[in-house]
Amino acid sequence: MASTIVERGRPAAGPARRRGVLGWFDPRGRRLGGLAFILNRLTGIGLVAYLYLHLLILSMLVQGPDAWDDFVDVALSPPFLALDVLLLTGMLVHGLNGIRVGLVGLGLVASRQKALFIAALVIAAFVALVGALRIFAGE
Amino acid sequence: MATEPRPVDRPGAGPRMVPSFVGQVISGAALLVLLTAHMIAQHFIVPSGLRFYEDVIAWLRDPVMIVVEVAFLVFVTYHALLGVRAILFDFGFSERTERRITLVLWVVGIATIVYGVTLFAAILNAA
Repeated sequence: MASTIVERGRPAAGPARRRGVLGWFDPRGRRLGGLAFILNRLTGIGLVAYLYLHLLILSMLVQGPDAWDDFVDVALSPPFLALDVLLLTGMLVHGLNGIRVGLVGLGLVASRQKALFIAALVIAAFVALVGALRIFAGE
Repeated sequence: MATEPRPVDRPGAGPRMVPSFVGQVISGAALLVLLTAHMIAQHFIVPSGLRFYEDVIAWLRDPVMIVVEVAFLVFVTYHALLGVRAILFDFGFSERTERRITLVLWVVGIATIVYGVTLFAAILNAA
């Protein structure tokens, strides 16, 4: 388990390196691991926001069939379906990159983390494309 | 807390997983299963892509689905707020503030789960 001290992802701390959340957007010296770190955080923030939005939307079910079915009609319009594709893409990127973080953090494939990140993005793009076709095909 | 494991500085101690990282990995693994099931069941096998009211109610009347959806709610809330905690900790607060943040997020998490479960019950009662 010696390789478990890995996957910090963030830029190395140093006098020239901006720390904290603003440091995420500091492109200096950024490596692939740093980009993966930022991507995971940004998609994570989006997904947390969606979680609470989703719970709020589900509360419309209490109002009965008219309110919910009207919402479903709106949600099946192209602009909302595009947001569905964005959501699906965010989930795929976060989930697949999360698998990479988990595997690397457990010391299983620390030497392959860059390849895993690229593979995660390729798989996410492919599944998102298939999902987008499926989502819009049902329109 | 961070979403990555941290080294332990104790002399003679081997590397150790931060508990929050372990929690994030376990809840993330559970979400891979539950979210996939949720997406397929609620969206991809439904011809229109979204369930209309009667379909939602019929779905929620299945006790197995209730258990799956509540488990999904618990894991997703835990995973999400652990992530929020990691981001907030990046601001570099004092340990005291970090403990308070943790406490607040536990309250938010429990409130979220209670709200979700109550919502399930209210939806079924209203149907």
